[in-house]
Amino acid sequence: MKRVQRGDVYAYQELVRRYQKKVFRVISTYVRDPEDAVEVLQDTLLKVYTARSTWESRFSFAGWLYRIAINASIDRYRKSDRGRTSSLEDMMETQLHQSATVGSSLDPLDGICDRERRRLLEKTVRRLPQRQREVVSLRFFGDMKLEEIAAALGCPLGTVKSNLHKAVMGLKGMLLARKGVLNYE
Amino acid sequence: MSSCDAIKEMLVLYAEEALDPEETRRVAEHLTGCRDCRAESEQIVRIREWLTDPGLFEPVQDLTWQLLPEKLAGRAGQLQGRRWGLFGLRFPKWALSAAALVALACGLIWTMRLRAPAPPGAQPALVAPGNEAFLDKVRTVYAREATSQYLAGCQGLLLDLACTERKCEGDRYDVSLEVARARQLLEQKRMLDAELSVPDVARAKGLCDELERFLINLSTAQTCETPVALHRMESLIEKEQLLLRIKVLQSGIS
Repeated sequence: MKRVQRGDVYAYQELVRRYQKKVFRVISTYVRDPEDAVEVLQDTLLKVYTARSTWESRFSFAGWLYRIAINASIDRYRKSDRGRTSSLEDMMETQLHQSATVGSSLDPLDGICDRERRRLLEKTVRRLPQRQREVVSLRFFGDMKLEEIAAALGCPLGTVKSNLHKAVMGLKGMLLARKGVLNYE
Repeated sequence: MSSCDAIKEMLVLYAEEALDPEETRRVAEHLTGCRDCRAESEQIVRIREWLTDPGLFEPVQDLTWQLLPEKLAGRAGQLQGRRWGLFGLRFPKWALSAAALVALACGLIWTMRLRAPAPPGAQPALVAPGNEAFLDKVRTVYAREATSQYLAGCQGLLLDLACTERKCEGDRYDVSLEVARARQLLEQKRMLDAELSVPDVARAKGLCDELERFLINLSTAQTCETPVALHRMESLIEKEQLLLRIKVLQSGIS
């Protein structure tokens, strides 16, 4: 990144090559349409170049990069999904309540095939409240440690841990609820 | 809160290995004797595994990922050129300001000369007396900056060449980026040649030319080079002490 800061375009090219897919996955947790996600990705990576002088080496580069990506994704999400946001969150709440009623006899998470599971999981991750989604995407798609996430989001480590706990439990609840729906169908 | 409830609150962080040793021991002990909590823990571990699945939010496999780095680097290069550059060379802001001031000063002098009647018998001069020194100074600053940029580019390239770890075929190394950079630096050197006659940077000419010969060889290399060829280049860099000489020269002209 220091070379990029000096204006080395080849170093920037290498940096894009290294991070493009990871950043795409983080962005995809906010932006459903893959073409839109690629657009946001391009905006993000160009912003990295134009704002390169604002990065300080004492901070994690990945944290800074994902922060830009998340902000750009939220902007896009607000523009395209503003009307649907509340209904999605309501639906999530409903499903969380439903999940409490689903019994845990045997293992209800068994039997979901890979493709179906990915589709469901992608949907449910997108329905997490913003802070929980940030923590999940940085932890699992950005490969960041909890301490790095705390630094990137500018919040205490305890908040990150608590959000991660809520997110995983929320995902579990939503998946179980969906599994119930699938069984009914 | 029952003991199970307290343990369940810690299961996600237990799976993350983010609990302190005492809590970890407490959860592990509880799990050995509690079937309910064990089942819950297994579900959490499974969801965690699903989240680390590389197929989740997987980018579509197409040419986008091969072309995007080059495309964005091109756009970044354009942005850079539009801001502070000319012919691929970059200038600091103060150099641009100085150039603007010179242009303004020349314009003013020219206008005044047009208005003032020429003394009888005086020869018309292209530049007002005293301005040659100022223009020389500007040219020197520019020559120093351009030489320094070229040397920095060569230094970065030589360092990267010595550290390249990208494998392509078998035990060969991918040097395509270095080859492309060598070509760009050759172009930069072509623009620099005229400036190397400026006295303040004239002593850099020898090394700049030597680096140019190295770049010519590199620019004609294959994109997948054998370890032997790479080692030969590294030996040359070391033998000719190119990196050290660049450093010494840079400190002399900056």
